[in-house]
Amino acid sequence: MSPIFLLIPVLLPVIGGFSLVFLRIPEEDDRRRNIYLESVTVLTSILVWIALFAVRKERVEIYSFTRGFSIDVGLDGLGCLFAGMVSLMWPLVMLYAFDYMQEEKGKNKFFTFYLMTYGVALGIAFSSNMTTLYAFYEMLTLVTIPLVSFYKDHDSMFAGRKYAAYTIGGAGLGFFAMVITTVYGNAGNFIFGGSLNRGLSSTMLQVVFVVGFFGFGAKAAIFPLYDWLPSASVAPTPVTALLHAVAVVNAGVFAVTRLTWYIYGPELLLGTTAQAVTILTAVFTLVFSAAMALKERHFKRRLAYSTVSNLSYMLFGVLLMTPEGFTGGMLHMLFHGIIKMSLFLCAGAFMHRTGNAYIYEINGVGRKMPVTFIFYTLGGLSLAGVPLFCGFISKWNLVMAGIEADTPWGLTGVAGLIISAFLCAMYTLSVSVRAFFPMQETDRYLERTDVREAGPLMLVPIIVFGIANVVLGIHPQPVVEFIRRIAAGGF
Amino acid sequence: MMILCMVFGPFICGIIAYMIGRKNENFRDVFVIGVTGAELVLALLLFRQLPSFSIPDILAGGLTFTMDGFRSVYAVVTAVMWAGTTLFSKEYFKEERENLNRYWFFVIVTLGATEGVMLSGDLMTAFVFFEILSFTSFTWVIHEETPGAVRAGYTYLFIAVIGGLVLFMGLALLQFSAGTLSFADLREAVSRSEKPEMIFAAGVCILFGFGCKAGMFPVHVWLPKAHPVAPSPASALLSGILTKVGIYGILMTSLYALLTHETFGLLVLVLGVITMALGAVLALFSVNLKRTLACSSMSQIGFILTGVGMMILLSAKGSGEGAGIARSGLMLHMTNHSLIKLTLFMAAGVVVMNLHTLNLDDIRGWGRNKLFLKISFALGALGISGVPLFNGYISKTLLHEGIVEGIHECHAYSGLLSVIEWIFLASGGLTFAYMLKLFICIFVERNKDAARQARYDGDRHCMNAASTAAVFGSSILMVVLGQPYVSTRLAFLMTGFEEILHFKAFTWENLKGGLISLGIGALVYVFIVRRVLVREDSYVNLWPEKLDLEELVYRPLLTKYLPAVFGFVAEMFGENKILRPLCRFGLALATVLVRILEITLDGTILLLRKTILREKKVKGAESAHPGLLRTLSIELSGAAEPITSNFTFALMMTCIGIVIILCTIIAVIF
Repeated sequence: MSPIFLLIPVLLPVIGGFSLVFLRIPEEDDRRRNIYLESVTVLTSILVWIALFAVRKERVEIYSFTRGFSIDVGLDGLGCLFAGMVSLMWPLVMLYAFDYMQEEKGKNKFFTFYLMTYGVALGIAFSSNMTTLYAFYEMLTLVTIPLVSFYKDHDSMFAGRKYAAYTIGGAGLGFFAMVITTVYGNAGNFIFGGSLNRGLSSTMLQVVFVVGFFGFGAKAAIFPLYDWLPSASVAPTPVTALLHAVAVVNAGVFAVTRLTWYIYGPELLLGTTAQAVTILTAVFTLVFSAAMALKERHFKRRLAYSTVSNLSYMLFGVLLMTPEGFTGGMLHMLFHGIIKMSLFLCAGAFMHRTGNAYIYEINGVGRKMPVTFIFYTLGGLSLAGVPLFCGFISKWNLVMAGIEADTPWGLTGVAGLIISAFLCAMYTLSVSVRAFFPMQETDRYLERTDVREAGPLMLVPIIVFGIANVVLGIHPQPVVEFIRRIAAGGF
Repeated sequence: MMILCMVFGPFICGIIAYMIGRKNENFRDVFVIGVTGAELVLALLLFRQLPSFSIPDILAGGLTFTMDGFRSVYAVVTAVMWAGTTLFSKEYFKEERENLNRYWFFVIVTLGATEGVMLSGDLMTAFVFFEILSFTSFTWVIHEETPGAVRAGYTYLFIAVIGGLVLFMGLALLQFSAGTLSFADLREAVSRSEKPEMIFAAGVCILFGFGCKAGMFPVHVWLPKAHPVAPSPASALLSGILTKVGIYGILMTSLYALLTHETFGLLVLVLGVITMALGAVLALFSVNLKRTLACSSMSQIGFILTGVGMMILLSAKGSGEGAGIARSGLMLHMTNHSLIKLTLFMAAGVVVMNLHTLNLDDIRGWGRNKLFLKISFALGALGISGVPLFNGYISKTLLHEGIVEGIHECHAYSGLLSVIEWIFLASGGLTFAYMLKLFICIFVERNKDAARQARYDGDRHCMNAASTAAVFGSSILMVVLGQPYVSTRLAFLMTGFEEILHFKAFTWENLKGGLISLGIGALVYVFIVRRVLVREDSYVNLWPEKLDLEELVYRPLLTKYLPAVFGFVAEMFGENKILRPLCRFGLALATVLVRILEITLDGTILLLRKTILREKKVKGAESAHPGLLRTLSIELSGAAEPITSNFTFALMMTCIGIVIILCTIIAVIF
C-alpha cells in the first residue's frame, strides 16, 4: 500500500473532531456523542494498525513549498513504535474521559480538540522529514492549548499561556534547526544514522544541534524549559494523562530522537561538546525534577514532575548515541507511557471521587478505593524499577547502556539514574503507604460513605494499563527485539 | 516442573487464600497450613533432584533455578520455617483478626519469592525474587498499623528501596564487566575479565544491597525497629529467613565472583565483626524481649559475615582447607540460626499472645510453671549460646577454627585476626549473657509485683497443641543438630568439603574456645547484667536513647540535610527562580540599552540642532512690515528656490562634488 494511505488516519480524527462542531449534538446527550467519538477513535486505531503492517516503508511527497521544504509522509520503525503506542492508548483513555468529564460543561469543545489531537499526534509519527515534523509539532501545540485552559479559571488560563509561551518559543528554536538541517542536509529527510552532509563547519553544526535540542526539548520538558508541565496539570485528568504524560511530551522526545539519530547521527555527534552539554542537561533534569517531585504536595503536580524526570531518562538514552542507549530510551518511552498513564488515571479517579488533590488528603483512601490504589502501587513499583514490572526492563537497559558507553557522562548518568530512582520510589510509594496504612488519627475517609471505588469506565483503562505493565514486565522480549531491530537500522 | 510449583505455586495459592479468606476465615487458615505443608513435602521430594532449570526469554535475561546441596538444604529450611510459623499463627492471631487476609496473602507470596531466591541459578533471578520479597514483607512490619509500626515500616521501606537500587547498580556493573550473571559461568568470566576494579565495585554494591536485608552494619537500623512491632510469626520469618536471603546473596557473590579478592574479604570481615559486636552489645542492653532477640539476630549475622570474610581471605591465600572450614562453619551457622530464631521468636510470640507486652519487667516470672515453653526456650538459648552438645556450638567452633587458621595462614593480618578472634569469643560470651538474662528473667525469677506473680502462677495454660507442636518440635532440632555426626554430614551436604566429615568437635582445643566464651558470658552476666543493668530490682535500659544510628544520622540526613540541599537546588533552579530572573534581567538590560541608545540619539539630535542644523528663524516672522531691501531679498530667494530645490540642480551639484573628488584623487595619485 502506498504511504498516501497514512493520511487517512491522520485526517480522520481531525475532520471527525472538527465536524463535532457541526453535528449539533446537545450538551447533555452523552450517549450519542460518546458513541460517535469512540467509533471514530477505534476506527482510526484500526486504520493505524492496518497501515503499520500494510504500508510500504518508503516516503511520499504530498506537497512541496519550495525546493527542499516539502510535506512528506512515510513509515519507519520509530514511527511505527510511536503510532502503535498512541493508537493503543487513545481509545482506552477516551473511555476514561467519558466518565471523568461527565459533569463538566463544554464537553463538545473539549472532545473536538481532544479528538483532533489524536490525528496530529499520528501526523508526528508519520512525518518523514524535518519540515513535516515541524509543522505537526506546531499544530500539536495549537490544538492542545484549549485543552490546557479548559476550566477557564485564573490558573488554567495562566497555565495555557505558559504552555504556549514555552512550546512556541521552543518551536522557534526548533525552526532554526529545521531550516539549517533542511538546507544543508539531505532535504531534512530522516535516514537512520544521519542524513546531514557536512556543508557547515563542525562547530556550527554543534551549535545548531544544541539549539534544536532545546527547541524540541521544550515539549520534552528539558531543564530550564520544564516549568509548563507541572503548571499544565490543572487541566482535566484525561488531558494530563494522555497528553502530558504520553502524546505531547513523547512527541518532544520523538522529535529530539529524529534530530539526533535521523538527521545528525552518532558519527557527527559522538564525543563532541554538543553531546556533553545536552546529555548533562538531561542528567541534571532527571535528578532535579525527581527532587522537585518529592517536594511537591499536589498529587498531579508530583506526577508531572515525575514525568519531567522520566522524559530525561529517555533523552539520556537517546543522547548516549549508542544502539543500546537508543533501545533503552525508546523502551522507556513506551513503558513510561504505560506506567504514567496508569498512575495519572488513578490520581484522576481519586480526585474525581473525593474532590481532593493533595497528598496529605490521601490518608486511608486505599480502603475505599482498593482497586485504584492497588494498581497505583503496581505502577509506582514499576516506575521505581522493581522487577516483574516493565519499568525495570527499561531501566536495566538504560543503566547497562550508560555503563557500556564507557564515557564519563555515561557513568554520571547512571549515578543520576540510580539517585532519581530512589527518589522516585520515595515519592510514589509514600502515596501508597499513606493510602493503605494511615496513621489512625489522620484517617479521614474512615467515616465517609460517599467515597467509593471509581466507576467501570474509569476502572477498565486503569486495569488494562496495570495488566500491560505486568505482562510487559514479565515478557518484554518481543518489544525489546523490535526496538533492537530499529536501533540496528533494521527498518 | 516441580520447581516451578515450588516457586510460583505460592504466588497462585496466595491469591486463592485471599479469595477464600473473604468467604471463610477458618477454611483459609487450614488452607495456608496445607500450602506450607505441601511446600515442605515438595522441598523434601526435590532434595538434590534437579541440577538446573531455566525459563528463557522472560524479564531482563530469563530465570534459572538450580538445586545443589546448599540450596536444597535451604529450600527445606525455608519450608520448615514457614510450616512452623503457620502452624503457630492459628493460635497467635486468635484475637487480633484484623487485616488477616492481607497478611496471609503476603506471607504466602513471600514464601514463593524466598524459595525463588534460595533456588536461583543466577544473580538476576535472585534479584528479581529478592525485590519481590522486600516489598511483600513490608506489609508484615506494618501489619499492626500503630504509629510505631508505620514508622518502623517506613524505615524498612527506605532501606529496602536503597538496598534494591544499589544492588541493581551492582548487578549492572557485574553484567558489564563479567558479561554474565549466571553462577555457573561467573567464576570463569570473572577470571577472564579485563576490569577487575569494576568487579570489585560491583561486589561492594552487591554487598551493600544484600547487606541491607541481612542487617549488616551500617544498614542494620531497620532490624531492631521492625522485629518488635511485627507479629511474632512474622518476626521469626524476618529474622530467621529474610536476613538469610541477604546472606545468601553475599555468599553467592563471594563464592562465584570474588572468592580470591583479598580487599573484598577484609571489607566483609570488618563489617561482619562490627555487626557481630554491636549487635551483641545492643542485645545486652535491651529490656524488650523481641528487641533483644532482634539485636541477637544482627549479632549472629555478624558471626556469619565474619565467616564469609575469613573464607575469602583464606581462599585468597590459597588455603583450601581453611576456606572449607570457614565455609562449613558459616553455612551451618546460617541453618542453625534460622532454626534457633524460629524457636525463640515463637516462644516470644507465646508470651505476646498471652500478655500483650514485651517489657522484661512485666513478663518477669511468667514462665515459671510453663514446662514446654521453658524447655523450648532453654534449648534455643543453649543452641545460640554455643553450649557443647547443642547446635550453635559446632558452627561457632568451626567459625572460630576458621579465624585460627587465618592467623596461621595470613601473616600480613595476623595481628588484626588475633584481635578479631577475641572479639569473636567476647561476642559469643555476650550471646550467652543476654540469653541467660532473658531466660532467668522469664522462667526463673519472680515478678516484683507479688499479685501479678500469683496470677501468673495460677495460669498454667499458655498455648494449644498445635502451637506446642510447632514450638517444641522446632526446639528439638537444636539437640539433633547439636550432634557432630549429624552436623558434619549436613555441612558436607552443603559444602561438598570432605575433610569436614573427620572434624572432631570435642577435642580440648575446640572445647577451650567454647568454654572461654561461656566463661566470659557468665562473668558478664554476674558482674554487668546483675550489678549494672538491674537497678532497684528492675531491668533498666542504660543504652543512651540518643545513640541510635538511625535517629542520629540517617533520619536527619534524609529529612533535614538532603532536603536542605535538594531544597536549595530546587529553590535555585525550580519554580523558575533562574529562568524568570534571567528573563527579567534580560529585559532590564535591554531597557537600559535602549534607554542609552535613545538618550544618545536625543543628544545627538539636540547637538545637531544647536549646531549645524540650527533652525532658521522664519524671517517673515520678524516684522510684519519689512523694509524694501528685505522685501527684495525675500523675493529673490523665493525666485531662486525653484532652482535650489530642484532635483536636477541637486544632481548637478552632486556631479560637481564627485568631479571635484575625482580630480583631487587623480591629483593625489599622480
